[in-house]
Amino acid sequence: MRPQSIERQLERHLLQVEKPGRYVGGEYNSVVKDWGRADVKVALAFPDIYDLGMSNLGIMNLYHQLNQQPDMLAERVFSPWLDMEALMRQEGIPLYSLETKHPVSEFDLLGISLPYEQLYTNALNLLDLAGMPVLSRERDARYPLVIAGGHACFNPEPMADFIDAFVIGEGEEIIVEIASAIAKCRGLPRHEQLRHIARIQGMYVPRFYDVEYHADGTVRSISPNEPGIPERVLKRIVITLPKPFTKFIVPNIDTVHNRAPIEIMRGCTRGCRFCHAGMVTRPVRERPVDEIMAAIDEIVRYTGFEEISLLSLSSSDYVWVEQLAEEVNRVYKDAGLSLSLPSLRIESASADLLEKIGGTRRSGFTFAPEAATEKMRDMINKYVPDEQVLQTARDVYSRGWRTIKFYFMIGHPDETLEDVQAIVDLCNLTLREGTKILGKKATLNVGVSTFIPKPHTPFQWAPQDKRANVEEKQRLLKAQMRRGGMHLRWNNIEDSEFEGWLSRGDRRLGRVIRRAWESGCKFDAWGDQHQHRKWLAAFEAFDIDPSFYNFRERGLEEVFPWDHIDVGIHKKFLREDYLMSIKRETRVDCRDKCFACGILPKFAKERSTTEDMAWECPPVTPISERQRARQVAIPVSAIG
Amino acid sequence: MSHLSPVQQRLRVTFGKAGPLKYTSNLDTAKIWERVLRRADLPILYTRGFNTRPRISLAMPLPLGISSECEILEIALREKIELRNQDLREELLAVAPQGLTVGDIVEVDSRAPSLHSLITSAEYRIRFQDGIDRDTLRRRIDDLLERESIIVDRVRRRKRSVMDIRPLILDLRQDADNVLIAHLSVGERGNLRPDQLIEHLGLAGLHYAAHRYKLHLLPE
Repeated sequence: MRPQSIERQLERHLLQVEKPGRYVGGEYNSVVKDWGRADVKVALAFPDIYDLGMSNLGIMNLYHQLNQQPDMLAERVFSPWLDMEALMRQEGIPLYSLETKHPVSEFDLLGISLPYEQLYTNALNLLDLAGMPVLSRERDARYPLVIAGGHACFNPEPMADFIDAFVIGEGEEIIVEIASAIAKCRGLPRHEQLRHIARIQGMYVPRFYDVEYHADGTVRSISPNEPGIPERVLKRIVITLPKPFTKFIVPNIDTVHNRAPIEIMRGCTRGCRFCHAGMVTRPVRERPVDEIMAAIDEIVRYTGFEEISLLSLSSSDYVWVEQLAEEVNRVYKDAGLSLSLPSLRIESASADLLEKIGGTRRSGFTFAPEAATEKMRDMINKYVPDEQVLQTARDVYSRGWRTIKFYFMIGHPDETLEDVQAIVDLCNLTLREGTKILGKKATLNVGVSTFIPKPHTPFQWAPQDKRANVEEKQRLLKAQMRRGGMHLRWNNIEDSEFEGWLSRGDRRLGRVIRRAWESGCKFDAWGDQHQHRKWLAAFEAFDIDPSFYNFRERGLEEVFPWDHIDVGIHKKFLREDYLMSIKRETRVDCRDKCFACGILPKFAKERSTTEDMAWECPPVTPISERQRARQVAIPVSAIG
Repeated sequence: MSHLSPVQQRLRVTFGKAGPLKYTSNLDTAKIWERVLRRADLPILYTRGFNTRPRISLAMPLPLGISSECEILEIALREKIELRNQDLREELLAVAPQGLTVGDIVEVDSRAPSLHSLITSAEYRIRFQDGIDRDTLRRRIDDLLERESIIVDRVRRRKRSVMDIRPLILDLRQDADNVLIAHLSVGERGNLRPDQLIEHLGLAGLHYAAHRYKLHLLPE
């Protein structure tokens, strides 16, 4: 279908759907290039609705990197909501890009963002709406090459049947390399094209790997089946963060996070054992304050956004956070601009920071103590004593903030009801502090999520907590957290179970995902859309026991389906950390002491080219200098 | 000017919405304007309080899906600016999204009543895309206009009310190109939208494009 016919169809039918502004593009700062003059055309898809996808910084970064290239163009694609999908299928409108309304099937490359597993069915649905076979093997070179990236892709196996190639790691640089490679191998058969793609460091092409299984269903081996294909795919990183993107597309309709984000730091040194992001985004790289200040200025001028959030996994750990807060306060105090600094540590200094940075608008105060007993805090390696929580609450409430939000986590298999009761007690004490200061105006919102063990973390060996246990723990919370001023939120048990299957799934789940999608599953991230029974039926259809994936404690020597994906962290480091967890031993912040997780040897060459302050890992001296030093000094270990 | 008022200047901007912006609601249009004004670096005045908002307002909501050339935006400024109409218009257009057009910009007295209360009716051009022959359309128009009253049952906020919408149709005719020209009441005293009119004409099944080209104001 031609873009003009798609536009005519939209003009005719769009008023029949909810929020038609999702489907028309035309936003300020959207980039519309001349279709005929671009050599490589890339569709960047976020497999959920516009309202959510527009807030995705990753997509925006790639959009910018590609559109900066004179011979390339990138356009956006999102999932249509149910009403629009029905309309598109009924009227024969194929999935199209927002910028020029070209059918997705006419692009050279389709990049799908997969930050979390609940988007898998939507990804299949996108392919289908684009008029493409969902199976990678059924798509030849006439179809766009389909790649995926994002945090869920650190275990790409469940989606291996559908995606031609995965980006493992950070996409800013590699995306342009992929697009260039496509231009070079145009006209070749798909298999040949993929050989070229697989040569790019950080690209994983599932069809070039064979998986063998033991009789018990665990993986025996994963090995390349073509010459020149690496045994393990090392993730791609950028040595220093590229300049922050500032020409954000300004939506014409309201979106979920209708604001501009700036990434102030990537990675985290805390080493919380449950945290997937903390493990896969190493090493920690920070931006200089002046770069952030320049970005804020540009965002205000280029977009007019009234709200900017300064993102990182742990803002308090950003080395120059004080200077940043002071600069922001000095420059933007009365500018009608609201800045938020999420992910602050639970400590008194956080209230000061937020007061400085918040300016005239004050966003909420959110903390994540995660656990409320010494035992659980040690197990997850996140230690925040009660008194520190309470003191911080006093500091926050006494400065006039009425609402604090806490995040806790339940569902560790070794957690007891006493550990859960402690969450209730700590929340009661916290709210009591608030009431002393603000009376009935003080509120405490408590989000209690259910722990899901993730690949590439120390808990990748751990079983997920059984349904009956989680139910009992949630019942306790619901029964006891009913005080006025306290609001409890929790995860749906079926949603957690579902996430657990896919998080540590293997290639055999491809059939299950496909069956679930065929039977109508989509928008699994939307609680009210997730159809758990259909998923269970899909497992049953292939005689696969879903509990194999989430409720089983894995053997210490087990080969995992994602072991050939190298995030730079030694498996033995993770294993050691897992065993420490069982013994309730903790590790300090790795800024204070390097635990040799594996990042430095993997990226020693990269590290030797950076300034000391650019990474939080210890500096690496070039090998030549190290050898010289060794000749002079005798290593300490050799003396003892 | 009162020394108590932080408003240093009040501007009235006539603007239009076309293309993709037809699908932007009234609330979101205000947000678009807020950001256009910030990109143009105009000294907009913000409300005081916990959640500050710019003091701007749109005169009369435009129903979703309708293009326009006569919408009105009022802006309160915290500093007076030199009003060279053409320059400011160019500045705003330079930072406007696709489909947003800018017409006249005038200064109004800061004590003038809000525009919302002054607007009484609007004129629309409605073009049927499926084609409807002249005679059929004329018959439908005549039939509707002949009726002395058009009683409708409306349920609003769980309250049922019966009202006559005939007086809300001020004028209804077809032009030489068989485009329906409708002059309808808008605002608090009675509001009739083009889609409601078309339903009463018995043409709800047809595809059409509606455009608002004129707002009528009570004399200030």
